[in-house]
Amino acid sequence: MSEGAGTADRSDDRTRTDGGTADTAPRSETVSDDVQTRFDRIAKSRRRRWIGISAVVAVVGYMFINALQAVEWFDANLTQYLPTFAEALRDFFPFLVILDGFPFIWIDWSGFGQYWAFITEQNLIYDDEFFADATSLVDYPITLLTGPGGPLGVLGVAGETLAMGIAGTLMGLPFALLFGVLGSGRVTRFPFNFIFRGTMSAIRAIPALIWALIFVPLGGIGATTATLAIATDTIGNLGRLYTDELEEIEDGPIEAIETAGGDKRQVVTFGMLSQVSTPFIAWTLYVFEINVRIAVTLGIIGGGGLGQVLVVQEGLFAYTNMMATILVILVLIISVELFSQRLRARIRGDEPTGFIELLKGFPRRMAESALK
Amino acid sequence: MSRIAVTNLTKVYGDDTIALDDVSFEIDEGEFVIVLGVSGSGKSTLLRCLSSLTSPTEGTIEIDGDEVTQTHDDIAMIFQQHNIIGQMTAYSNALSGSLSRSDFVESVFQLQDSAEKYRALEALETVGLLEEAQSKARNMSGGQQQRVGIARALVQEPRVMLADEPVASLDPGSSQQVMQYLLEASVDRDLTTMISLHEVNLARKFGERFIGLRDGKKVFDGYSEDFTIDIIDEIYGDIDIDGIVAEDGADTNETETGKRATKGGSAV
Repeated sequence: MSEGAGTADRSDDRTRTDGGTADTAPRSETVSDDVQTRFDRIAKSRRRRWIGISAVVAVVGYMFINALQAVEWFDANLTQYLPTFAEALRDFFPFLVILDGFPFIWIDWSGFGQYWAFITEQNLIYDDEFFADATSLVDYPITLLTGPGGPLGVLGVAGETLAMGIAGTLMGLPFALLFGVLGSGRVTRFPFNFIFRGTMSAIRAIPALIWALIFVPLGGIGATTATLAIATDTIGNLGRLYTDELEEIEDGPIEAIETAGGDKRQVVTFGMLSQVSTPFIAWTLYVFEINVRIAVTLGIIGGGGLGQVLVVQEGLFAYTNMMATILVILVLIISVELFSQRLRARIRGDEPTGFIELLKGFPRRMAESALK
Repeated sequence: MSRIAVTNLTKVYGDDTIALDDVSFEIDEGEFVIVLGVSGSGKSTLLRCLSSLTSPTEGTIEIDGDEVTQTHDDIAMIFQQHNIIGQMTAYSNALSGSLSRSDFVESVFQLQDSAEKYRALEALETVGLLEEAQSKARNMSGGQQQRVGIARALVQEPRVMLADEPVASLDPGSSQQVMQYLLEASVDRDLTTMISLHEVNLARKFGERFIGLRDGKKVFDGYSEDFTIDIIDEIYGDIDIDGIVAEDGADTNETETGKRATKGGSAV
């Protein structure tokens, strides 16, 4: 802007030295020279702005067309497949009945039964085999605690996804703590703390999905590999949050522990970590939430759990079953988030986030954590 | 041999900010000394040098004849902002005074000898907080937190107790109480104590010996009987001391006269 004004000034001077040469704007007899000068200057700067905007629109449009060509958009002929997609939509939502007249759409409640049939058949949310051997009432709690997977086993396929999140978080946690603490400039002297920060950055630069691919030769295609990927990802993300939190601490308690005669490890533990124990727990819960979402997406590349059920049904074009799985994913993630956010709010003494806010933010968080 | 011997202590921050300028004094065992001065006079720097939280530019500090160069449990420090650990209980905070006597694992899992644990509880009793031993420190009032800070200092069993503006962030009632506890702890244990204060009334009420600092220089070092209104004026300079010295025995007339008299010449 200022550059534009400067140019306008210069051109103005030139006009004046030329003795008022012709300008594009019609000159009115009734206005003063100052007003006329200002009028011309504004007209010029607006012209310049329009030229700029047109140039940007042209460049963006050119890139857009090229990008569409690169993704073969013009060869795809989407209209041809619209009927197929409409059919798929009917399968996705079997409870919706399209009518010819008003109100056009009707709800067939038995459609929900199709979802439920798939959920129970595949043990998506409850494993009906789990208590198969229980004969008396006493057997139930015992089986619950000692059966395969314990309380997670009861939850069927959803339990498997949840288990990946829990195991991955807990496996990554000690390393995140180690790297996070050593990455802080207050603990490790600069530049040596950047060895740990750099490692965490490198881990974060690679999405969990790709970590899973890297670990396939080690753990095969399955939940074990997915858990390893989540654990690795946790080191990068949680460790970074720990480091950031440690930068915020106050010097006071550190000095107090120093004057009390504490050694280096005692100063770190009592002076520093004790200040951040609450935020550390809160961040760990937050990363656990993310990890359960990642566990769903890792299932899609064969990591087991709900994601794998989803991709298998997609392959079978069983859209109703896909949607049933998506609903279970929704229930699982929202439950985990509710639990984690309530707990975090309680630990931090904040107001907990409402259920509606959780529901509204769900798609964004799911998308973000897919490539975390 | 005196307990604390400070010789030609000078501290320069950056290139030319002189916080302490050639300060020397000696303090005997069991003395209760109050360091006075306005903000920026060098009180905090002096105490931070004594506790080795700041290293002096020049000069030496000796405790019982040994030069002090790093933080040590022999020199306990009480801070204006309390600096206790909010997440821990009053008891755990007091017990952290024994860190130097326990190894890392012992201190993390609180596996110290019961003698140490009794010592922590006794220190809390000294500051009147035995009942609150299991309260989380962050839920306590400012005055209580500062008393926990005193308890932690006592558990160190130090040879010297330093307190940097211990009551500056407290209300008048709590200030009196904290000063009372500091005085009692010092007298009961014959503990050499140095406290920096900016409030003259509090200093006169509790003080025995006073060291006055102004612009980093020592302008007074003496006992209560010599701590006259002229001296206060010398320490505090031209600021309106009516606000600082008030309602304390000495009549206003004398204060006024003292002030007028000092305007002319020097007090020292």
